[in-house]
Amino acid sequence: MKHLPKHLQPRWRYLAIELEGWPDASIDRRAFQRECWYAGQNLLGDPGSAAADLTVVRFEFEEGVGSAIVRVHRGETEPARAAIACIDEIDGSPVGIRICGISGTIRAGEENYLGRRRQEFEERNVVFGNEERVAVVRDGSADVRLDDAFAGATDLDYNLA
Amino acid sequence: MYEAVHAHPDGQSTVARLAKTAADYGYEGVVVRNHSSARAEYEPDEISAEYGIDVVEGVEIRADNPEQASGSVGNYRPSHTIVALEGGSNALNRFAVEQPKIDVLAGPMAGSGDVNHVLAKAAVENGVRIEFDLSGVLRTSGGRRVRTIQSLRKLGEIVDYYDAPHVVSADPTSHLELRAPRELKALGEEIGFSSEFVEDGLAEWGRLAERNRHVQSESFIEPGVERGRYEEES
Repeated sequence: MKHLPKHLQPRWRYLAIELEGWPDASIDRRAFQRECWYAGQNLLGDPGSAAADLTVVRFEFEEGVGSAIVRVHRGETEPARAAIACIDEIDGSPVGIRICGISGTIRAGEENYLGRRRQEFEERNVVFGNEERVAVVRDGSADVRLDDAFAGATDLDYNLA
Repeated sequence: MYEAVHAHPDGQSTVARLAKTAADYGYEGVVVRNHSSARAEYEPDEISAEYGIDVVEGVEIRADNPEQASGSVGNYRPSHTIVALEGGSNALNRFAVEQPKIDVLAGPMAGSGDVNHVLAKAAVENGVRIEFDLSGVLRTSGGRRVRTIQSLRKLGEIVDYYDAPHVVSADPTSHLELRAPRELKALGEEIGFSSEFVEDGLAEWGRLAERNRHVQSESFIEPGVERGRYEEES
């Protein structure tokens, strides 16, 4: 079908989103898309989520951190922000989610708001709670592997082994 | 704006990690409100200096009945800047709002708890802040979430009518459960609270901390009486 004349084309806004999980989390685009739509439907209802759109257009997630760009209709950014804030786990792994900014184009969103986070990480032995543990350390933060879970810590919390 | 958090061992992340993430998210401070049975060990000044965020020492008292709660309030009041009481039953809610030594009634609508006009008036009189706990909206779904939103709306109407003091929190137990203030404001709008109401509730923690620090400081003697610089005699 012939594309719409420019004044009838939808006005999109792109939400730049940062994701964070425990180091063992593995999340793919499909799962994130599903959670976005579920969250929209649960909070905003069918009409609200139709108005907001919430299509994931960019997604990456590796080693516990990731980023995404979600497309939203102009004027529906605040309901979309609320819906996305309600995503607390994806495929059973808890995630931290934060909207860093809103742009009119995907490229501006990526350039202005994403990709600043340092990706380097290392595994180190640390002393946490008087026991030696393995931790994934990234930019001053550490996810310490306990017996059956992780604990979030920082450089201030442990003594290097 | 401040957020009130449960840190390791009450939650999964340490105070430092929560403070670091909260600073990233644009909060001005965190209130550590671990339950009385799971105290965290931390250095507020060190964390505050490292991440540029205020760290407030608090406690959330969990008690089975008012008698037990009363004992705990006496124990924790002198050493903590913010003392909250976990509500959740009518007896405890009633006790909390009638006790000026308590700063915050946390989660009044949880469990079998309820709030009415009598409690709201008592809260105004004693300056007890009623907490709006958004964790149920953020982290549950289905019927339970519907009931949580219903009870928050009811609480909102009562608090609004009597202009009772309130605080708002997402009640995070790990850095992953923290949400930025703008997100909480947007969420508030969706469930029927204005963004000013949510912003005010988040800022109230900070005002409370500032007031209590002033009251607990050395120079404060009693309301209206303070040790000033004119006292020095040569």
